[in-house]
Amino acid sequence: MFSFHYIRNQIIHLLLVLIGVSIITFALSHVIPGDPARMMVGDKASAATLARARVELGLDRPLTEQYYKYVTGLMHGDMGISIRSQQPVSSELKKFFPATLELTLSAMILAVIFGIILGVVAAVHRNKWPDHLCRIVSLIGVSTPLFWSGVVALIIFYKWIPIFPASGRLDTFMTPPPQVTGMYILDGLFAGQMDVVLSAIHHLILPAVCLAYVQLAIIARQVRSSMIDVLEEDYIRTARSCGIPTRRILYHYALKNALLPTVTIAGLTLADLLSGAIITETIFAWPGMGKYVVEAITFLDFPAIMGFTMIVSCVYVFINFIVDMLYRFLDPQIREVDK
Amino acid sequence: MSLKKLSLVVLAGLLAASLSGCGGSGSSSGGSAKTPKDTLVIGTAFESATLDPAVSMDNGTWAISYPCYDRLVKYKTDNGKASTEVEASLAESWTASPDGLTWTFKLKKDAKFPDGTPVDAKAVKFSFDRLMKMKKGPSDYFPTLKTVEAVDATTVKFTLSKPFAPFLYTLATSGASVINPKVMEKAKGDDNATAYLAEHTMGSGAYQLSEWARGQHVTMTANDKYWGKKPSLKKVIFQVIKDASAQRLQLEKGDLDIAEGIPVEQTEELAKNKDIKVGEYPNFLVSYLYVNNQKAPLNNVKVRQALSYAMDYKAIIDGSVKGKGVPMKGPIPKGMWGYDDSLTGYTTNVEKAKQLLAESGQKDLTVHLLYSNYKTFWEAEALLIQNSLQKAGIKCELDKVAWATLRERVDKGNFEICLGSWTPDFADPYMFMNCWYDSKMFGLSGDRSFYKNDKVDQLIRQAVEVTDQKQRTDLYRQAQKIVVDEAGYILLFQTSTIVPQRANVKGFVYNPMLDGMFNFEDMSKS
Repeated sequence: MFSFHYIRNQIIHLLLVLIGVSIITFALSHVIPGDPARMMVGDKASAATLARARVELGLDRPLTEQYYKYVTGLMHGDMGISIRSQQPVSSELKKFFPATLELTLSAMILAVIFGIILGVVAAVHRNKWPDHLCRIVSLIGVSTPLFWSGVVALIIFYKWIPIFPASGRLDTFMTPPPQVTGMYILDGLFAGQMDVVLSAIHHLILPAVCLAYVQLAIIARQVRSSMIDVLEEDYIRTARSCGIPTRRILYHYALKNALLPTVTIAGLTLADLLSGAIITETIFAWPGMGKYVVEAITFLDFPAIMGFTMIVSCVYVFINFIVDMLYRFLDPQIREVDK
Repeated sequence: MSLKKLSLVVLAGLLAASLSGCGGSGSSSGGSAKTPKDTLVIGTAFESATLDPAVSMDNGTWAISYPCYDRLVKYKTDNGKASTEVEASLAESWTASPDGLTWTFKLKKDAKFPDGTPVDAKAVKFSFDRLMKMKKGPSDYFPTLKTVEAVDATTVKFTLSKPFAPFLYTLATSGASVINPKVMEKAKGDDNATAYLAEHTMGSGAYQLSEWARGQHVTMTANDKYWGKKPSLKKVIFQVIKDASAQRLQLEKGDLDIAEGIPVEQTEELAKNKDIKVGEYPNFLVSYLYVNNQKAPLNNVKVRQALSYAMDYKAIIDGSVKGKGVPMKGPIPKGMWGYDDSLTGYTTNVEKAKQLLAESGQKDLTVHLLYSNYKTFWEAEALLIQNSLQKAGIKCELDKVAWATLRERVDKGNFEICLGSWTPDFADPYMFMNCWYDSKMFGLSGDRSFYKNDKVDQLIRQAVEVTDQKQRTDLYRQAQKIVVDEAGYILLFQTSTIVPQRANVKGFVYNPMLDGMFNFEDMSKS
């Protein structure tokens, strides 16, 4: 299905993208005015203390030398030392990234599943009440900013109807499961600690639903319109006239074709979810990368900013790769072009 | 059952179980409010980077590390009221040589670290040697410290290269914390155990760090071997919650006992809740404008005075901090020793401002105001300053930049006027007079207005060399008169710290020298 040449070319492209990203981020984060050494030693530090810190951080070296040192470190899995916390960036990201991944993946799963269901229902019942309902739900979704809907969700489900917690990943007095993936639900399952799994799900629902809502709306609109197009195709009418059950026509013949544009959207969704996660993490005190990077940016913590950007770029590039592969799976015509 | 139905049932089951199963188990869960009586939960928007006292430079970190360590001296509390004077802590008594160069401290005999190691002269020497060897920010508080000597087990002698009058007060800063020398067993290479102390505490204080889930919470547990009075709170938890609305909701529900990150605009509404008290404490956080004294036309004293008279102080205080601020008469804030009540300072007088401006020969003056969004109230404050200046016929262009950029530009003197704030690190007028006006301190580290006056330089430098407090007060008094008259800075107001807390929290004493920090060992819950 996938030729070796094709995959090899793709991987070379991906590497080029990542190198480009690293150069651009490194240059950008170093040319903006502001002195990270100053952030480290505090405003009132003397000139001598400041100069010492600058040498310690290697900021007195030329930019090219700093970049070379960074990239060679990166090849060995060393992302440098965070200026703010003085801890290796890789170990910090290991702490924060799984939390973001857990939140983002859950939101993505929710958005894709319910977005497709909503879109199909709307398309099948075009211009009837289910369609109108879906439209209203979607409109609210796309037009509500996350920082607002998050707080409203807290007021409703934490203050008025207290069924969800307001912050964190686990109950305060609960110990996290031993780290395997860093995602508490999975790690809890691996360790057989059901109370941890339940608490993790309980804490995850509200932020994940809020985060998913916007993307869900976008996916639903997309599925609806492509589904309507497909349902008007000749082959669907032919299938109907042959007496094939509606359910089979919908899910077997129509949906697969209607999903092609949706796959693109879903791929992009992940990027939106990652950026949305920064706001969601702030409101729900979710200890993920979003919070980490916002602090890193205000602190001009270059190694941490670089680490974050590289990880997100890798995820993004990887998802695009998967989307490309999915195209080939869904649409044989694209497969043929390669050959 | 088909696979689809099965997965639906499992999903529904998990959802139901998570809702019911977690309803009553923990403090942060929806169903149960109220934290345990021996546990204090504080909501904070701040997350520490390193807890090492020889490295950390921010009050947010000190809120955690300060109660974990002891120092030779501590700030006094008189009848439940905080003071900026210091009294003995680990030290029993001390003497200073007449030339102010040698300070000898006698230590208490019963103080021990939790592992049984005595807090003796060796431990004090170790801590200061480590601090001065590492040369990070906190070492700057001891600019003239030459040697520390353990004379015997309970006597420690500090020798200074030059007299430094605030020395006694600097011993109450976080940098002067006494660390268990055994920490060196945890050192990696030549890191002086910085990596270990970044995430652990090894002091003799009433609390010790017990858990730090980064980005989530910090838990401190009472030190049951504490040599002083046993604290009644067994646990103190700092919950990291960035969002102010979320903090407020949790405080109202009782999941938090104290919320630190609620902006002043929301506290009025919060105070109406009978379960919550909103403490308001005048602090030493000064809101002021750096006026670049080296840049024309601001190098003209009349122009600077005109700017000072043009400010609508009341409107600025009301509009930016909801009236929770006090105008300043001179650079030393009210409540700090050395404060001079007889100074007149500047009050709003638009006519006088216009007159001074005319005398200076400046027509159609335009100034650029540099600011950032570092403090939430700065945006409003900048607009109010712009408005004030406009009334006096001065055009003010707002120049909003990122916080790091602002600091860089201030350090290089690349600005006209700039919005800033300052808190003292130790309880001495030095923190205002010497830092702000000594021409040796040009730039971000202190003299941010690039102010220079030889007479002032002489007075304030002399005030550091004499130890007699009366004489020092007098010197600072003379210097204050000059700097106020020359309007080196525009002094806007000193602010108040707002601490919203549950009504059942008792014993909190706010000390302006320990802003954002708590006296956990004396606090309790009813």
